[in-house]
Amino acid sequence: MHELSICQSMLGIVEKTMAEHPNATLRRIFLDIGKGSTVESTLLSEAFEVIVSGGQYEGVELVINDIPIAGRCRTCERDFTYEEFALGCPSCGSTDIEIHSGLELDIKHLEIDED
Amino acid sequence: MPKVDIEKKILSENDLVAIENRRQFADAGLLVFNIISSPGSGKTTLLEATLDRLADKVKILVIEGDVSTERDMDRVRAHGADGIQINTGGGCHLSAKMIRDVLDGLGLDTADLVFIENVGNLICPSTYDLGEDIRMVLLSTAEGDDKPMKYPSIFHEAELAIITKIDLLPYLEFDVEKVGTEISVLNSECEVLKLSALKGEGMDAWIEWIMKRLEMKRAARPAAGE
Repeated sequence: MHELSICQSMLGIVEKTMAEHPNATLRRIFLDIGKGSTVESTLLSEAFEVIVSGGQYEGVELVINDIPIAGRCRTCERDFTYEEFALGCPSCGSTDIEIHSGLELDIKHLEIDED
Repeated sequence: MPKVDIEKKILSENDLVAIENRRQFADAGLLVFNIISSPGSGKTTLLEATLDRLADKVKILVIEGDVSTERDMDRVRAHGADGIQINTGGGCHLSAKMIRDVLDGLGLDTADLVFIENVGNLICPSTYDLGEDIRMVLLSTAEGDDKPMKYPSIFHEAELAIITKIDLLPYLEFDVEKVGTEISVLNSECEVLKLSALKGEGMDAWIEWIMKRLEMKRAARPAAGE
């Protein structure tokens, strides 16, 4: 359960960014979280609610974009996506595959209200 | 609503500290391992057996990560290691900053190898770069042969996987070949070794692996003063 510390790291970046907009109110935080990233979106949302409760970011919405695991088979040259790691290409079964995305743990942007 | 772009890795701060750590290790000519596994798969026993075979040839430092106690540090000290215990107090992984905070006073300049034994956990530690050269994962035969696909991210990230406790194979249903295949699908570059730290089988290959990598690391090190 490292979602709490991931959440704290994320809020560290948010705080630094918001310091550059001292008169703004934070409304939404947008994240990309890969399905193969070891971070579980539901747990991350729960951790977020616990951490921001009673603080300056209470009521801020965390918007998580779950990124499926996507790759390409080097044998049949088809692109594929997985909801979770699987053994080989879903089309031809080859195990000679490369993964392009699904490991993301990124903070994309914020939405703010400027006073 | 106004939008503020960030486009950063959430762990970018950890990654920056890991880069600093890696530079500090490289300046001291060290080869650094980050050992990850579930609790009880034999990380400390492997370190003890490794120290028994290498402690008179190379200087080894161990950084032990556990939720609590100094037990693991006491064990490796008894086999000739210097180092330090980090207690995370509930934390499920080590971070680059935790490593940075203990580097002063460890005597990096006099050492050859550093083993960082991460907190026993097959999930969270795989997300945190500590500045190591080699991220390795242990899987003991007693845990079952279904683990690579159940905990894929660490096998996807690791450069070396070691199947431990192979002396127990006669008593277990553990398909070594299947594990090797699943690891290679997740990560075709991951090397796989098999050993019993307790009985000694396979230890020679592991020691050779370490020494080969240490030589490569030393060869890549710029000479003093350059």
